[in-house]
Amino acid sequence: MLSLSEKRYVEIHNVTKAYPNPRGEDVVVVDGFNLIMPKGEFVSIIGHSGCGKSTVLTMVAGLNSITSGGVVVDGREISEAGPDRAVVFQSPCLLPWMTAFENVLLGVKNVYPHATKQQRADIVSHYLQLVGLGDSMHRYPRELSGGMQQRVGIARALALRPKMLLLDEPFGRLDSLTRMELQDVILEILAEEQITTMLVTHDVDEAIYMSDRIVMMTNGPRARVGEILAIPIPRIRKRDEVLEHPDYYRYRGHLISFLEGRAHSHPGRKRTPEYEDTCHAVASYEDTSHDIPIHFETGIATCDLISSGTHAGNE
Amino acid sequence: MKYSLLKIIHVTGLTFLEPIVRLCYGEEPALQLKKIGRFIVVPVVAVLVFVGIWNWGGPQLKTKSGEVPTPGVVAEAFRGVFQFFVRENTKEDDYILTGETRQAELVRVEQRLNDLAALKQSADARVAELEIGRDEFLAKTVGPVQKELNDLSEEQTSQEKAMLDAIKQTAAGITEKSSTTDREALIAAMVKYNGLKKVNNEKLKRIQEKLTNISSVKYQPYLDALKQQTNVVEEIIFLEKRKELLTVGNRESKVAQSEADLERLKSEFATATGAQTLGLANRIVKTEERLQTMEKSAYAKPWTLPLQTLRSLACVFTGFVLATMIAVPIGILCGLSSTFMAAVTPFIAMFKPVSPIVWLPIALIIVGGLIPDPDNHWLLHVLEHLPLIGWMKINPAFIASAVTVALCSLWPTLVNTALGVASIDKDHMNVARVLRLGFTRRLVSIVIPSAMPLIFAGMRISLGVGWMVLIAAELLASSEGIGKFVWDMFNNGSSATFAQMFVVVFVVGVIGFLLDRIMIILQRLVSFDGAPAAI
Repeated sequence: MLSLSEKRYVEIHNVTKAYPNPRGEDVVVVDGFNLIMPKGEFVSIIGHSGCGKSTVLTMVAGLNSITSGGVVVDGREISEAGPDRAVVFQSPCLLPWMTAFENVLLGVKNVYPHATKQQRADIVSHYLQLVGLGDSMHRYPRELSGGMQQRVGIARALALRPKMLLLDEPFGRLDSLTRMELQDVILEILAEEQITTMLVTHDVDEAIYMSDRIVMMTNGPRARVGEILAIPIPRIRKRDEVLEHPDYYRYRGHLISFLEGRAHSHPGRKRTPEYEDTCHAVASYEDTSHDIPIHFETGIATCDLISSGTHAGNE
Repeated sequence: MKYSLLKIIHVTGLTFLEPIVRLCYGEEPALQLKKIGRFIVVPVVAVLVFVGIWNWGGPQLKTKSGEVPTPGVVAEAFRGVFQFFVRENTKEDDYILTGETRQAELVRVEQRLNDLAALKQSADARVAELEIGRDEFLAKTVGPVQKELNDLSEEQTSQEKAMLDAIKQTAAGITEKSSTTDREALIAAMVKYNGLKKVNNEKLKRIQEKLTNISSVKYQPYLDALKQQTNVVEEIIFLEKRKELLTVGNRESKVAQSEADLERLKSEFATATGAQTLGLANRIVKTEERLQTMEKSAYAKPWTLPLQTLRSLACVFTGFVLATMIAVPIGILCGLSSTFMAAVTPFIAMFKPVSPIVWLPIALIIVGGLIPDPDNHWLLHVLEHLPLIGWMKINPAFIASAVTVALCSLWPTLVNTALGVASIDKDHMNVARVLRLGFTRRLVSIVIPSAMPLIFAGMRISLGVGWMVLIAAELLASSEGIGKFVWDMFNNGSSATFAQMFVVVFVVGVIGFLLDRIMIILQRLVSFDGAPAAI
């Protein structure tokens, strides 16, 4: 069983991001994002492009400053980027003048300052082998395919032994076959290492296959958690088993209907006063509960207030 | 083989060779021939057209240093410059030759001198023979015009004399009683006379010009013979000098001579008495001193263009290294910190446009202040005794030129480095933040490698600027090098030295081109996105 602190291993508390626009007014991109993750959980954030899901992830990573609110990881509030929250970026971001091995070693040196050269080399090769690059360790990024480059990126992140793994659309630029391979690579490793993981994606199937819970974000500006869907398919998962799971299409339909309908229930339309009110209501509700109620028994988690709120907006 | 060749061509940027390589491997001959036509034949034709225009246009322009040299003359001058270099090197070697080799060399020189005596005779005879031809040629072309000139001049003189006589008579006829009209008539006659003289002079001048033009048309066979003769005479003078350097002028024999003198003086000293001993003692000391310097002496060789070119290259390299050492660290700091950039911007803006002509005198004075006594400065002594660069005789003028090169050429590197560092991929910086790399590791692992291509692009521009600036700096500073060579040739002012200045144009151009190529290759090699590090 998880201890109390492990149940609230990652707390994202009312995180808000605002950028000043050219006229000096603040444009609120993310407005009050709340999420609590227990240790070892895999959470996907799904939403339309530009809704601010990557912004949330970079704020958790510490690469982007938080306007208000806070993120606590393992009992510590984060203030800057660090190797305890490893990031796999959308583009592999390998340093082109270093071999795959050197790229991974770069971080290992900092995380294991007292290890000997041999020990570090062993760590690096271990993780490169884990992602299936045992044979191409000493090749330069330009000599690797896009998928292989991303594998190096994953190895680099995992070699840091992070408390949290942040995946920022890591398969976004890969073809579907490579994407599936890499999804399995990550799931296999996570099955062993039990790292709390946050994945930003816009691929519904990917989210269902990989996640314990899926956070659906409303459209920006002022994006926030719209709904949370739990995927209680037991691990270790197999792709065809998941696809044949009786609830699979229900999950999928739910996600798609959210993305198609309720996420942008106010496209180009001015927010009605009622809508603003419901938002405030949600905010205050979340403030007191620190979590969003989830209906586990149906397998579909819905935030009642939000859905009724968006319905109100639609009407 | 084919692909490694193509790779080399790509890295060196000699892309015009690519179609030839591909054609040799039989790849799409029609396309390759088209490419060869465009990238090789067209440039060659353009060069030929240029040479043709030059060949025709040069002689049209006459200067106080003779005609503008044609390509042929410049090629000849190039050969002359090189021959001078080779001959001076031979003399230098001759001076220090000893024993058997010296004798053997002497025999060869004398043999050649014998051969040349015969050659000189035939050359002299040919010149004498052609002199007649030339006179005939001149008589044919210049003769009639000269006669015309003479006739006209004679005619004019008599005409003018007659008129002047008439005026004189009129003047004599004027008495106290003569009326003002008579006096005015005299003045009018005087005006007419002056007018006539002017007109006559004009006519004379025109014919004289014609004469000069005609006589400037040279009788080519005679000129060729004369050149032949000059070449032979020059070689004879050279060989005579060699003979001298191999015999009495040789270091070995000079030393032997001095030793003999010393022996004689010592024996005299042994038997001398009284006041005589003082004078002898003095002479013995002097001779011994002279002997010491003589044993290490070398032939006093004048500077030659190839050596001056090497010295210029050393100078530009020194300045370039200096500029890079200053510009790259400052550029990196500028790129990393916008505060530092703000502090440095006024200096960049203000000093970048300053011309080398301004920097050089300042550099000369400052270097002069740091090295007040060049003959006894430790740095110059150390440099003089280093192998490879000792012969360059590095002096304050050299250092000032190098400093000027550095001051003028560091700006492109600085600005490009700053740009390269500032425009590092943001993702790479994010990686550094996630990995929490320290400043040094961030610098070494990320900042410098990713800014490298732009740093090298800046260095390439810097080297080009430096090479251009250097010639002017050397010219002003009188630092031995290509610039000094040009200045000396300019001051000499003969048609031969005029052609040698054209030689310099090509030397400077070709070296500048090669330096640029080298930098391009280096740039490609350090670029992570370009060619791999090994060819």
